[in-house]
Formats: sequence, C-alpha cells, structure tokens
Amino acid sequence: MSAVQTGEIITFFILAPLAVIGALGMVLARNAVHSALWLILTMLSLGVFYIVQAGPFIGMVQIIVYTGAIMMLFLFVLMLVGRDASDSVIETLRGQKVVGTLLGVGLAGLMATGIYQATRDYTVVGLEAANKDGNVQGLAKLIFTNYVFAFEVTSALLITAAVGAMILAHQEKSGVKAVGQVAKMRERFLPGNYPGPKPGPGVFATSNSVATPAKLPDGNPSQRSISPILPTRELTAAEKADKPTLTGGA
Amino acid sequence: MDAYLSSYATIGALALVGVVIIGGAFLVNRLLRPRRPNAAAGKRDTYECGLDPVPGGWAQMHIRYYLYAYLYVLFAVEAIFLFPWAVVYLEAGRAVIVEMAIFVGVLALGLLYAWRKRALTWQ
Amino acid sequence: MVKLPPMDYAAIMPLLILFGAACLGVLIEAFVPRRARNITQLLFSLAAVIAAMVFVVKRAGNVTAANAITAGGAITIDKAALFLQGSLLVLAFVSLLIFGERTLEQGGAFVAQAAVTVGSEKDKEQAAKSLGSTEVYPLALFSLAGMLLFVAANDLLTMFVALEVFSLPLYLLCALARRKRLLSQEAALKYFLLGAYASAFFLFGVALVYGYAKAVDFASIHTAAAVGAGNITLLITGLGLLAIGLLFKVAAAPFHVWTPDVYQGAPTPVTAFMAACTKAAAFGGLIRVLYVGFDGLGWQFTPVLGAIAALTVMVGAVLAVTQTDLKRLLAYSSVANAGYLLIGVLAGGQLGLQSVLFYLVAYGLTVIAAFALITLVRDADGEATHLSRWAGLGARSPLFAGIFTFLLLAFAGIPLTSGFMAKLSVFGAAVDGGQTWLVIFGVISSIILAFPYLRVVVMMWLSEPGESTPSVSLPGVLTSTALGVGTIATLVLGVAPGLLLDLADKAAAFIR
Repeated sequence: MSAVQTGEIITFFILAPLAVIGALGMVLARNAVHSALWLILTMLSLGVFYIVQAGPFIGMVQIIVYTGAIMMLFLFVLMLVGRDASDSVIETLRGQKVVGTLLGVGLAGLMATGIYQATRDYTVVGLEAANKDGNVQGLAKLIFTNYVFAFEVTSALLITAAVGAMILAHQEKSGVKAVGQVAKMRERFLPGNYPGPKPGPGVFATSNSVATPAKLPDGNPSQRSISPILPTRELTAAEKADKPTLTGGA
Repeated sequence: MDAYLSSYATIGALALVGVVIIGGAFLVNRLLRPRRPNAAAGKRDTYECGLDPVPGGWAQMHIRYYLYAYLYVLFAVEAIFLFPWAVVYLEAGRAVIVEMAIFVGVLALGLLYAWRKRALTWQ
Repeated sequence: MVKLPPMDYAAIMPLLILFGAACLGVLIEAFVPRRARNITQLLFSLAAVIAAMVFVVKRAGNVTAANAITAGGAITIDKAALFLQGSLLVLAFVSLLIFGERTLEQGGAFVAQAAVTVGSEKDKEQAAKSLGSTEVYPLALFSLAGMLLFVAANDLLTMFVALEVFSLPLYLLCALARRKRLLSQEAALKYFLLGAYASAFFLFGVALVYGYAKAVDFASIHTAAAVGAGNITLLITGLGLLAIGLLFKVAAAPFHVWTPDVYQGAPTPVTAFMAACTKAAAFGGLIRVLYVGFDGLGWQFTPVLGAIAALTVMVGAVLAVTQTDLKRLLAYSSVANAGYLLIGVLAGGQLGLQSVLFYLVAYGLTVIAAFALITLVRDADGEATHLSRWAGLGARSPLFAGIFTFLLLAFAGIPLTSGFMAKLSVFGAAVDGGQTWLVIFGVISSIILAFPYLRVVVMMWLSEPGESTPSVSLPGVLTSTALGVGTIATLVLGVAPGLLLDLADKAAAFIR
C-alpha cells in the first residue's frame, strides 16, 4: 500500500511544477487580479494532490472552499481596493525586502532539508485503516467523537467571524424621521442657503459632460453645478473656451 | 489503489471534454466572425449626458457587497461539516444529530443577528 | 461506530457557560433596545463570569488523576488548568468593568459603528453623540471562553482551535476605538496579519509533531518522545514552530513587534484585557506544551528559550527607555515581563510553575489598574497618553498620581508591592533550577526598566502643571472598582502573598 503508484507519480510531476509556477506567479504578478488567478492554479493543483493521496474529502474541500469561496472573497477585496492599486515601493525600513527575501529563502531551505532528512526513511502507515469505511466516514468518526469539542467550538469561531464582519462592514441606518413639507421648505429658505435650483451642468459650457462645470454669465465656472462626488479632471482648452453666446457671436 | 485512481479517470475525461467544448466554441466564434467590425470614431462616446469616458472603467465597490461574500464563505464552511455528518448520522443516532443541531444553531444565531441588524435587506 | 465520548459536564461547565453566554450575548445584541443594551450586556457578562467562577471553585476540591481528562481526551481540567481558568476569570471580570464605563465619555471607549468612514460627516456625528457598540461584550466572552479552553486543551488540535477562538475576537476588539480610529484600525490589521501568520507556524508545527508522534495529544507526544522512535528532527522542528506561534502570543522578542502598535491603537479597556488575560492564557498554553507534551526534550529547548528570554527582557527594557507614549511604554514593559515569565517557565519544576502562576495573577491585576488609570487622564481629544502631558499631574490630582506612582513602583519591583514578590519568586525559582545566567539578565533588565518608570514618576511630581496638562476625570463606579481592586491586590500581594503563593503551589501540577 505504501508503494507509490505510477499514476500518482505522473500526476505529481505534471502538477507540482504548475503549483510552484502558480505560487511564483502570484507573488510576482503586477496585476492583483492576475495574482489571484495564479493562486487559483496553485490551489487547484494542491486539491488534486490531496485527492491523489487518497484524501478525496480534503481535496474537494480545498477546491470548493478555497478556490471557490475564499478566492471569491479575494476578488471582492480586489474590487474594494482597486484593480490598479499597487504596493508602495518605498521601504519604511531600508533593505527590508532584501533581508526579508534572504530570511524567507533561508527558512524555506532549512525547513525543506530538515523535513526531507527527517521523513526520508519513513514508511507510510495507517492509510488503509483510516480509509477502511471510506474516507469521509473515517473523518466523521473522528470529528464527532474525540474532536467533538473542537468541532463545536469551531461554530463559536464562525459566529465570531460573522459578528465581526457585521461590525466592520455594515452600517446600520439610523432611523431617519420623515421630514414634512413645511419643515423642508423652512430649511430651504434658511439664511445661508441658496433657495434656487442649482445651475445645470453645461448650461453655458461647451461640453455636455456632467463633469464640466456650468459657466456663470461672467465666464467663471460655477462649482455649485458639479456634484461633489464626481472626480475632478483637467479640462481641455476646447472645453474651457467660452460659448459663442457669451462672447457675443462670432 | 489503482482502482482508486482510475475511478477519477472519468472525471479527467469529462474535464477534457469540457475544455474541448469551450475552447472549440471560442475557436469557432473567432473563425466565423467578421474581421473588421464597424468602429467609427465617436461611436461609443456618451451622447449628451453622462461622464466622458476618460479614466479606467474601475469604480470602487461598496463594502456592503463584501458582507454577502463573507456570509457565503461562513455557510460554505458549515456545509463542509454537514457532509461528513450526513454519511454517519443514521447509524450514529441521536447524540450526533444533537451535536450538529448545536453547531448549526449557533451559526443560525449569526444569521439571526444579521437579519436583526437589517444586513439582509437591501437599502 | 460513531459514539459520543463521555463528557464530565461538571468539569467543562465554565467553558459551556461562557460559550453559551457569548451566544446569548449576540441574541441580546439583536433583540434588546439600543438604550438598554450596554447595561444588560454588562450585567449579563459579569454574571456569566461569576457563574463560571463558581463552577471552577466547586471543581477545585475534587480533581483527581482519574477525572481530569474528559471530552474524549480533548480537555484536561487539572489543578493548573483550574488555577489558570480561575485567574483568567478574575482578570476578565475586572477588565469587563472598564469595558462598561460610560461616565468618562458619552458612549464609552468604543465606536458606535466601525464601518463609518473615518473623518466623514457621519463619523463626526457619531463621535459627538452616539452610544458605543455593545458587541464588545459577546466578543470579549468568546475570547475569554477560548482562553479557558486554551489553558485546558489536552491535544494540539483543540489548542489550535482555542487559539483562534480567543484571538479572532481580540483582533476585532482592537479596531473599535472611539477616538483615533485610524490608529485603532491600523493596530487591528497589524495584529490580525501577524497573528494569522503566527497561527500558520503553529499549525505547521502541529503537522510535523503529528508526523513524529502519529497523534496530537500530549500524552502520546510525551510517550513517543520518551520511546525515541523515528527521527527526532521532526519533533524538534515541530516544537520550534509551535513555540513561534505561542511566543508570538506572549509577545516575546523577536516576535514582539506587534505589541507597541497594538497596545497603543486598541481601545484602552481592550488593551487592559489583552495585557492581563492574553498573557495569562498564552503562558498557560506554553507551560502545558512544554511540561506535559515535550518535557522529555527539556535539555534541547531550554538553551534556545533561554536565549529568547534573555533577548526579550533586554529588548523590552531598552526600548521602553526610549518611549514617549505611556501606552507604548507599558507595551514594552509587558514585553519585558513576558521575558521574566519565560525565565520562570525555564526554571522548571514545582517552584518554577508556582512562580509563573503567581506572576501571571500579580502582573495582570497591576496592569489592569494601570490601564484603568490611563483612561482617566484625558482632554478634549480623548485620552492624553503622551508622556509630556502627564507632567505636573501630581499637583492636579495627588490621589491618582499617587496610585499611578504605586503601580509603576510595582512594575519596577519595589518591595511591598506584588511586583517585587512576583519577581522574587521567579528569579528564586530560576536560581533553584540552575538558570542563574538568566537571572543576571533579568536583574539587569529590571534595573534598566526602573528608569522609564521613575522618569514618569518624577515628571508627575516634580514638574509644574502646564497649560496642556489634562485634567483627571472623576471615574465612575466601574472604573473606580477596577482601579481599586487592581491597586489593593498589588498592595496585598506585596505584603501578604502567602495565600496566593500557597494556592499556586497546590495548583502547580499537571496531569498527563
């Protein structure tokens, strides 16, 4: 049983380089979405490894939860922070990246050689016993007997996460009272408020974009005409130019 | 062990067929479509309204979408635990059913909380 | 055949109570009207902690080797676990009092809606007049329950789940400060990222240890190590990785870098809770791993952990000298204290364990009182934690300056304070256990560390109060109680430590 099958070897040597390439691509890709896609490659390869090593359940979990749910979470975050957002290249500590890389490679080398040395002479035992009634049944037996407390406590972890997500991401609407028409009118004519309608964008302007401010009769742009949520942008000379009606024909 | 691996051969074949179908569809699409679509200047500009399409198309997403993604992940994890439970509960009896009831109950509490906080209604 | 293992419900009652109360706390959050939530949640959490304490005390009389291990071998409620659970409950009770304080600032120390963008109109509105969020109580209870499980876990898997259960709420709590919200969110993010990284190391360690011992429970690991089957490299690497995860939580150098930022950014009640309870829980877990699972490897881990202890005491002390913010100063002091505790852990034996247990309680109570006092010194922008702002506080408010001086003297380890007795017992145990070189480092570090403490004392008493010296707010009943309990405990444990030392002595026994 402990002998490695040919199919397993072939699968491994096809997917292992792919997994490593995926991991490298994830770290090195400039575009964050590409990083996420590389990561999916790595995770899928790992999922197949688990299945090949007679752990179909964990393999499927890897594919469903990680490449499915967690990666979706990643993509949501990317949409939150922006596809174009890139890391700052300024190092707050000088030489941080170099030292970090060296230490990381060193640790990886140390762990790899250590584990290789330690497990070289190991023979695989217990796989048959563990999967005797089927892989999922074997897992269920452990989860619902010896580790039942850890299992139940996991629900506490999940509900903490739910509450935490609610706290950090959900704004409760405060009960805004309906404002009557009289109150609205009073507010409109309060001193310091401009009761008239706002000038429409582009009334005197030469561009039809809402981002171009309306021109007042004296030729100045009216800031009131632009919605504050619009991004400001440079106007071209043509857009800045006065309309012929302002300059008196021509 | 060989039987175990070869049982996945069907899945492998299916995946291959899927790749061929989708790839083939794209290929056929490419072969059949007209080479030079009509792309006159200004064809895709906004007309008389809207923002000029100046910068990139990305706009920041509202954080509230993240909440849904997150709740989905939580319940995906719950479903993962339900799967091994489903194969043993008949033979295992009442105790295991109660265990899962507690687990699901605690998570349902999270859903109840989200509902009371009006996170589940779109505002 | 799947069959539920027998559960000793009397033994795990405190855990069940706390988890249940936390879940009910979430329900309270969903259904009780907003105005009544704070008082309901506070009273309910305090009641839950007291109820759990009752069951811990009830259990204390009848722990035997036969009935300690329960829940299918996942949990050991031995005497050490009970002592740690009891002290965690006491420390959490006192910190929860500060959580509930609402008289210093309208709505308390917590932001009402953490999702509101910092600096927006809505944020200004909610800073001025909103009730604070009350989710903090169920979160704190979840965290506390995780800690209680962590110190009683009998296998590495349960320990890992407990580690996550007590960490996750803490990450969240850190982000909920009402003032200086960006700093608070930054602290939470840093804590979360580094904490998740440390957890990954822990998990990797579990995997390697499983590879060696073919089991994750401490008894099997102990047996496998004693038999010496297989390649010991796997076991040692596994232990190393486990230790990284645990040392991160106790804030030992070089895994301490999160401490100052997180202590400074987190809301001060949360900082108090973390400084006292996380430290106790993490050391509880560490001593269980080292003395129950890996005691056969003593001669291998002692030199490495010794070096870490020496580094920790020095780093904490030296960096504390350069700090200008009180919360950061206390953070580095907490790093140094982690070092002293590690010295006690390495001392080993009955005496070492006893000294560590005593130290955790004594330090926890003092540090909670110190942070409670920091919440009182405030100006229009909230707490004034910069050192220069405390100049001349002695003239403004002699009582509180006096109490703070006393607490600082306890940190410095001056006789007649609990800090002195704690350090004495730890260093004594270390000399007894043949770790004299560590004691030398410890003493040098204590001398260095006395300097920043005394600088604060001198500033408070010998400087003239300037215009920028903030006023000391009159604390409400809750903070006064927390402050009073912490201060009196610091005094009593310094003058008459016998009772707690005896208790710790009786408790210093693990059951494998």
